[in-house]
Amino acid sequence: MSLVEKFEEHYKEKLVRPGNGCCPGCGGSLAWRMLLEALGKNTVLYGGAPCAGCAMRVIKLPRFGFHFSFVGDGASGIAAAFKVKGREDITVFSSAGDGGVGDISFGKVSACAERNDNFIQCCIDNEAYMNTGIQKSGLTPYGAWTTTTPTGKKSKKKMIPMILAQHRIPYLATLSIAYPQDLMKKVRKAKEIRGFRYLHLVMPCPTGWRFPASKTVEVARLAVQTWIWPLYEVEKGILRLTMKPKQRPVEDYLRLQGRFRHLTEDEIAEIQRSVDEEKERLLERDGKNIWL
Amino acid sequence: MGMILRAFRPVIDQEKCKRCGICETYCPEGVIVKIGDDYHIDLRFCKGCGICANECPFDAITMVREKPE
Amino acid sequence: MSRMPMTKVMEGNEAAAYGVKLSRVEVIAAYPITPQTELISTLASMIARGELKAEYIKVEGEHTALAATAAASAAGARAFTASAAQGIVYMEESIWMPPGMRLPVVMCIVNRAIAPLGGLRPDHNDSLLQRDTGWIQIYCENGQEVLDTIIQAYRIGEDKRVYLPVAPCYEGYVVSATATPVEIPDQEEVDDFLPPYKHEMYSLYPENPRSPPRLMRSIAEARYEVQQAMERAKKVIEEVDREYGERFGRYYDGMVEQYRCEDAEAVMVTMGSITGTARDVVDELREEGKKIGLVKLRVFRPFPTEEIQEIGKRVRAIGFVDRNTSYGAVAGCGIGCIETARALYPLDEHPLLLNYFVGLGGSDVTIPQLRHIAKRILKAAETGKPVKDVEWVELEKLEE
Repeated sequence: MSLVEKFEEHYKEKLVRPGNGCCPGCGGSLAWRMLLEALGKNTVLYGGAPCAGCAMRVIKLPRFGFHFSFVGDGASGIAAAFKVKGREDITVFSSAGDGGVGDISFGKVSACAERNDNFIQCCIDNEAYMNTGIQKSGLTPYGAWTTTTPTGKKSKKKMIPMILAQHRIPYLATLSIAYPQDLMKKVRKAKEIRGFRYLHLVMPCPTGWRFPASKTVEVARLAVQTWIWPLYEVEKGILRLTMKPKQRPVEDYLRLQGRFRHLTEDEIAEIQRSVDEEKERLLERDGKNIWL
Repeated sequence: MGMILRAFRPVIDQEKCKRCGICETYCPEGVIVKIGDDYHIDLRFCKGCGICANECPFDAITMVREKPE
Repeated sequence: MSRMPMTKVMEGNEAAAYGVKLSRVEVIAAYPITPQTELISTLASMIARGELKAEYIKVEGEHTALAATAAASAAGARAFTASAAQGIVYMEESIWMPPGMRLPVVMCIVNRAIAPLGGLRPDHNDSLLQRDTGWIQIYCENGQEVLDTIIQAYRIGEDKRVYLPVAPCYEGYVVSATATPVEIPDQEEVDDFLPPYKHEMYSLYPENPRSPPRLMRSIAEARYEVQQAMERAKKVIEEVDREYGERFGRYYDGMVEQYRCEDAEAVMVTMGSITGTARDVVDELREEGKKIGLVKLRVFRPFPTEEIQEIGKRVRAIGFVDRNTSYGAVAGCGIGCIETARALYPLDEHPLLLNYFVGLGGSDVTIPQLRHIAKRILKAAETGKPVKDVEWVELEKLEE
C-alpha cells in the first residue's frame, strides 16, 4: 500500500477527515477532532454556521441546522422526535459560537436549560464574531481589539457557564484544546448524563486574536495556566476545578496576542487583579454546591 | 482536488522523534498519522500552521520554506 | 369499536386540536398568543390525559417554536405548531426554513391583525405575508373545516410530489373562539386516510443518514424545484380533498369553491370566515333575482390561477374582498385583488375587477357591508363601469 492509501485507510476510521476550509492553526478545527473522538458515531450534530462550522463540512455524522441564530432550538426538536421514536440512545450534540450562544440566541439557550431538554449544547468560543470578520461579541474579553472595539472592549466577558449553572442543569464543564484528556473525559461524562448539558470551549483564533498560527495550542495552554480560562465542571451543582495550575502572570498570555497589544500597564494590572479575585472565589467554592 | 497553498512545510527528523504522539494530538487538520513505527505527515492536506513544530518537546519538527512551483 | 363519528359543539381552536390529535402528531412546539392559546392548551390537556401521545416542547418564543417543529420533522416525527400576527412575524426567519428544506410541517395561522394599527382581532395580513415563502396556505371558513383541513394538510405536505409545509389559516375569535357543531371523524378512519409519516429525503439516524442534496445545484435550480413542488401541489390538494370527501362526507371543492356561480354575471370572491356571511347575502340577492355568485378562495398558495381564469371567462364583474392591507401597492389594491388581476391578464376579454377592503383589524364584517359590495359588483356588471375601483367599505356610505 502506498503512503497515500495508508493515510486514507486511517481517515476511514475517523469521524472527520482533513480538507476543511478553516484557517491554518484554527483552534476550532482542532477542537472538533477532539470532540468527535470523544462523542463517537452514535451522534447527531445540530447547528454550525460560526467559524468552526468550516470544520463541519468534512464530518461524517448526520447533521442538521438552520442558521447561526438558531442555537439549541432545533436540538430540542430533534431530541423530542428521538424520544417519541424510542431513539434516546443517540447523542444530540448542538454546537454554536460565542455570538450564537452568548448574544443572539442567549434566550434560547437559557430556555433549553430551563426545560432541561435532552441534548449537549457546546459553545465553541473564539471570543468574537469571527465569521463576519472579527466583530465584538458579549464573550469578547475586556480590553480586546476587534473591528468594532478598535480601542479595546470596555465591558467584561459574559460568563455563560456560571449563568447556566444557576439554571440548575445536571452538568456543565469548561474545556480547552490544550488539555485533551481533560476535554475528552468531560465530553464522555456529558454523554452519559440525561438532560441539558453544557460544554464551553474557548478556542484561540490566530486570525482574530492576532498571533502566529503555530501558537494556537500554546495560547490555549496559557489561558488555563493564567487562570483566565479556568477548567472546571459543575455536576448537580457541585463545582470541581479539574485543573489547578500554578498561576502564571496574565501578561504571559496577553503579550502573545496582537489583539491586546495596545493595553496599558494599568489595564493589564486591572486584568490581573480581576483574574486573581476570580481565582480566589473559585478556590473557595471548589468542592461545594454553588447553586444559590 | 484543490491545491493547499502553504508557506512552510513541516519536516520530521525521525532520529530526534521519540514517537510521543503530541504532534498528532495537536494537529488541527489531523494529517499527522503513525504508520508503522514512524509518524508521517499527509502533505496533501497540511496547511503549514506549524503547531506541530511548536509543540514538539524534542524539537524534532522543523518548518521548512515551501519551494515555489 | 364503532366507526361512527361523534359530533360535539366546540370552538374553532378545540376543533383544530382534534385535527392535530387525529393526525397523530408526535411533536408539538408552540408558544401561546391570542387568539391561538386555547388550541395549544387543549393539546396540552389531551397529552396530559393520554389521549394524544406527543412530546410538547413549551418553547420560550415563536422563532424557537417553528425551529424546533421543523427540526423534529427532519428527525422523523410528524410535527405541529401554531401562531398568529406578532408571533408569526417574530417567527419570520424560521418560516423561510421548512419550504426550502422540504419539511412538511403543519402550522395553523390563527389570523390576527399585525401591530401597530392592529389588535387581537382578525385580518389576513399575517398569513398573506408568507405568500412568497413556499408555504401552502388554505383558508378555513369554520371550525369543521379547520379540523378537516389539518388532517388533509399532513396528507398534502407529506406527499412525495410535494414535501412542503402547509398553513391552515382561520380567523381569530370569529372561528377560533366561536362554538359550532363539529363532527369528529373516527380515529381508525383517519389512520386509513393518513398513514404514518416517513420522509424519503431525511434521516438523522447515524446508522443511515440521509439529507436532500443541497450543495451541487445552483440556487435558481433549487428554488425552481420548490416552485415546481408548489405547482404539483394543486393536483394533490384536489385529490386529497376529493378522497377526504368520499371517506368523511365533506369535500371542499379543492382549490376554489363556486357557490351559485353557474349563471352569475357578477361574483364576489372571499377568503376565510367572511365566506359564511357572504353565502347568506348571495342567497338573499338571488331571492331578489340578482345573478350574483360567490367564489370562496380556499387555497391562496398555490394561487388558483386556472380556476380564476375559468371564472373570469364567464362573468362580467369580479369583486375581490380583501381582508388585508398592502400600503402603497399597485392601484391601491389589496393582495388578493392584485393576484387575481394577473390571473385574468391573459384572457382575451377581461371582466371588470373591483376591490373591497373590509374587516380590517378584525372589525365585524356585516351583512349590510356585504350587500353593499355585492350590489356594487352587480352594478358594474350591468353598466360596464365600476362606481369605484377600490373601496374601503368601512369608510364608505353603504348602499341599501
